[in-house]
Amino acid sequence: MNLPPSDPNGVTRRGFFQLTLGWVAGSFAATATVAAAVRFLVPNVLFEPGQRFKAGKPDDYPDGSITFLEDERVYLVRKGNTFRCLSAVCTHLGCTVNRAGKGYHCPCHGSVFNDEGGVESGPAPRALTWYLVALSKDNRLLVDKGQNVSADKYLVI
Amino acid sequence: MNDFSLRKFYGWFTLLGLVVGVLVIVGYYRDENRPWKVYQRKFLQEEIRRAVTPDQRLLAQNTPLQIRQILLPELNRVDRCTTCHLAVEDPSYGNFAQPLAYHPLHDQHPFDKFGCTVCHRGQGRATTVADAHGNVPFWNEPMLPTKYLQASCGQCHEAADNPAAPELARGNQLFETVGCRGCHKLGGVGGNLGPELDRVGARRAPEWLKQHFLSPATVTPGSGMPPQKFAEPDLEAIVLYMLSQTGANLPGFYGSMKVLPSVSEGRRLFQLKGCIGCHTVAGQGGKIGPALDDVGLRRKPEWMMQHFRDPQSVSPGSVMPRFGFTEAEARALTEFLVHLRDQKVSLSIPALMEPTVRGREVFRKYGCAGCHGPEGKGGVPNPNAKTAQQVPALTYVADGYTKPELKKLIVNGQREIVALDPHHPAPPLYMPAWGNTIKDAEIDDLVAYLFTLKPKGEDAGF
Amino acid sequence: MNAPLPKRLWLWLAQTRVGRSVFRVGLPQSNLERSQAMVSSFLLHVQPAKVSRHALRASYTLGLGLISLYLFFILCGTGVLLMFYYVPSTAQAYDVMKDLQFVVSAGLVVRNMHRWAAHLMVLFVMLHMCRVFYTGAYKRPREFNWVIGVGLFLITLGLSFTGYLLPWDQLAFWAITVGTNIAGYAPIVGPKLKYLLLGGNVVGQDALTRFYALHVIVLPAIAGLMISVHLFRVRKDGGLSRPGEADDTSVESIPLAQLPTNKSYGLMELARGTTPQVGKNPDDEVFSWPHLVFRELLLFLLVIAVVLFLAIFWNAPLEEFANPIHPPNPAKAPWYFLGLQELVSYSAFWGGVVVPALLVTMLGVLPYIDRGRAGVGRWFARERTVANTIFTVCLIVAIVLTIIGTMFRGPNWGWVEPWGPPPAITEGH
Repeated sequence: MNLPPSDPNGVTRRGFFQLTLGWVAGSFAATATVAAAVRFLVPNVLFEPGQRFKAGKPDDYPDGSITFLEDERVYLVRKGNTFRCLSAVCTHLGCTVNRAGKGYHCPCHGSVFNDEGGVESGPAPRALTWYLVALSKDNRLLVDKGQNVSADKYLVI
Repeated sequence: MNDFSLRKFYGWFTLLGLVVGVLVIVGYYRDENRPWKVYQRKFLQEEIRRAVTPDQRLLAQNTPLQIRQILLPELNRVDRCTTCHLAVEDPSYGNFAQPLAYHPLHDQHPFDKFGCTVCHRGQGRATTVADAHGNVPFWNEPMLPTKYLQASCGQCHEAADNPAAPELARGNQLFETVGCRGCHKLGGVGGNLGPELDRVGARRAPEWLKQHFLSPATVTPGSGMPPQKFAEPDLEAIVLYMLSQTGANLPGFYGSMKVLPSVSEGRRLFQLKGCIGCHTVAGQGGKIGPALDDVGLRRKPEWMMQHFRDPQSVSPGSVMPRFGFTEAEARALTEFLVHLRDQKVSLSIPALMEPTVRGREVFRKYGCAGCHGPEGKGGVPNPNAKTAQQVPALTYVADGYTKPELKKLIVNGQREIVALDPHHPAPPLYMPAWGNTIKDAEIDDLVAYLFTLKPKGEDAGF
Repeated sequence: MNAPLPKRLWLWLAQTRVGRSVFRVGLPQSNLERSQAMVSSFLLHVQPAKVSRHALRASYTLGLGLISLYLFFILCGTGVLLMFYYVPSTAQAYDVMKDLQFVVSAGLVVRNMHRWAAHLMVLFVMLHMCRVFYTGAYKRPREFNWVIGVGLFLITLGLSFTGYLLPWDQLAFWAITVGTNIAGYAPIVGPKLKYLLLGGNVVGQDALTRFYALHVIVLPAIAGLMISVHLFRVRKDGGLSRPGEADDTSVESIPLAQLPTNKSYGLMELARGTTPQVGKNPDDEVFSWPHLVFRELLLFLLVIAVVLFLAIFWNAPLEEFANPIHPPNPAKAPWYFLGLQELVSYSAFWGGVVVPALLVTMLGVLPYIDRGRAGVGRWFARERTVANTIFTVCLIVAIVLTIIGTMFRGPNWGWVEPWGPPPAITEGH
């Protein structure tokens, strides 16, 4: 083989095979490493309040009460034997709404919601969200913030 | 020049490229194949099998494999046990093998509020069997064997008279009667010959404790503690009680559960709050408030509860102040009052006892029996002590001492014990100074009690 | 085109309009382009266009400096990843270690890589230093680069030592307690240095915060800068040392003072004579692209493979949560300080003060004392027998002390034999 001295890439069949394989394996490893680094950064567990949470026993809430659950930012509404759960997050820009009179009031930009979460006034584009309430196997109220329901859907005990 | 070609390195390049590639694959495989996924797949298969409605089937099929955890910020714990123990809340898994078994009896202690490790111990953050169960190097909190599980109740609840934890109560009873406090401090009360026991349950394994009770010197060379001759059930109970002493100071809600609404707790509060200052029991006490002997007949428990919350709301014009009892404290006091007409309960109020009876309680409370034997009859070995290689019995103290002398001896102790053979090691046990630990009035009662120990009808032997 | 597919792809990519704007030179096909590939690339231009054959011989350098550099890169990469999870809090740091192991995808491997690469870096920086000594490569004109190298060695120890505390387990806590106490033995400055380093008198939250800041920002920034200077000077001092360098009069530059000052000079006229373009036999040199670059790539793959292998099959140690009340017996400093700890056990003053101060000073002034230029560029040159012997004796003593401290010391710093039965654990109450 008479190759130009400083052209080491002048390639034999064997060298061609070796180089290709090396580059393919190396590129694969590099790509996989980058992918693994990205995967490393995707959290597998969250340390924030969960989407589904238990809100205690039904009897913890007196009849006719509207209870604010701080950690979860929801209102738990009991009327007679029915339970509902209303999001306390304003649909405008995400502030926490306060119970005020016969409705809810957002302190940030003055949106006012009625008892059923509907917008009365202010910049809020949508009504407050109602979440699904169910009963768990150990007879606790189970709220799923992943599932929105309409205002007329109740859990009846 | 040709010999300087790079061609000789091509093979190395291929090899190293492949090695790195294979290592990445191996690393990925090992990282991705976590054992908990096997259990979750099994569980979801079972859920799919059981599904009745299409919705349930869909739910089971769409459940992703993921680490499940219970966040307990107040306890500073994260419990991932439910990643494998997936059916703890589902009674229909009652007869399944672990890890898919149902966990009975959690109504009072829901998992989302208590998690698992606060009772069972182990390593909540871990997600492999060995690590999670905690029998691994460098983890000091392995899972408690089930037979000792009641030890965990003692972290939040009073051990004495706890009906839900009979073994714990029994261990506590033994601890207080055998006389452990003669040498050991627990909760600040006790002697100083041995180490404090406040964190012993977190530091020692059950096997160690067992061995230590039976033969202290084999696990702690040089220990002067006399071997304890417990029967097996008693041994298990006292080991369990020791395990309950973790020194954990549980915060907030968990710590507030300490008071049990029991008669004994009520009695403790009755004494502590000085109720006897205004009320009489068995004719003794202050005359400001009504006598309480038969209050259990006159009033319903609900009335008493309300009375503790706000005395004037049920008996207008009452001068009794609001003490601000917690709900549990009020319940304990109510329980106590309900049972007060019972002779045994009313006589156990310390203020009403004879000094010699109270002294007997003091003898018990500070564990004098641990060295001097039950009722002061002696018999505990103290190698190389001149007093027959034993801690002396107290039966005849009335003959050898006057009351002030005896009191002085208890207050100041006796550090030097005369040795039988001065060439052998000094006797390990000695009389500590109790002056800083036992209250003055208690010592008077104790001395009164000790003077009653002399058998009736015997005269001074000197 | 009989080229491998990746190469063909690369060629195509490099000749597109965008490709040319990025890479300037595609895959070099001529000697001109080979030079340009090196000179016009930011990443490559720290290296010369042509490099002496001697410098490429693996048996001369053993690639030790480059391995240290690669380990530094790996440490930066894995370190940044770990920073996304780590919390420098005494309450949370240990939990983060557990979460990396049990929850985070590849978390354990990343932590292992960081740990093992850190130990390897300390080792390879030491080996690199030995290589430079035994080949006499610290001599004129490279004296100051040796001094910078000594500085980098100390920075490497500092990086490893500050990182040691971050998991906040028993190993970390007590190694740092012991390590900072050794520092405290230095006269006058010692206690103050310890106080400043810990932000107090004991290892606690403030110490953790300070070690974290040092570990992730201060020391890496200094190390990065000093590595740049170190590499820059390798180039400016005429590349790697080689035999016969001292006799090559053509590389001597004309002293500036002898030049007329009433004219202006071009850059080439002022540049030192020992730049590679001057006074070299062209036959002794090859183009850096591909001869140097390909070898560097191979070495990089080798380092990555070794670190990955270690990280996949051996876990980084993690002991119990730090407990200031119960020290392990014996409490040991990190392994590279165990020689010193062994000395301290005989005499705090000698082990903690005199020996380390003397060592660092000796290393620092070495090139200004040992000024002969004979034997440069050859391993264990006969002309350097005296220097080599002294260095070897010191090295062996250091190794023996470290091995004793690591393997032969048990409870109460008593003598144990690693192959004997483990010492009975006697516990008091």
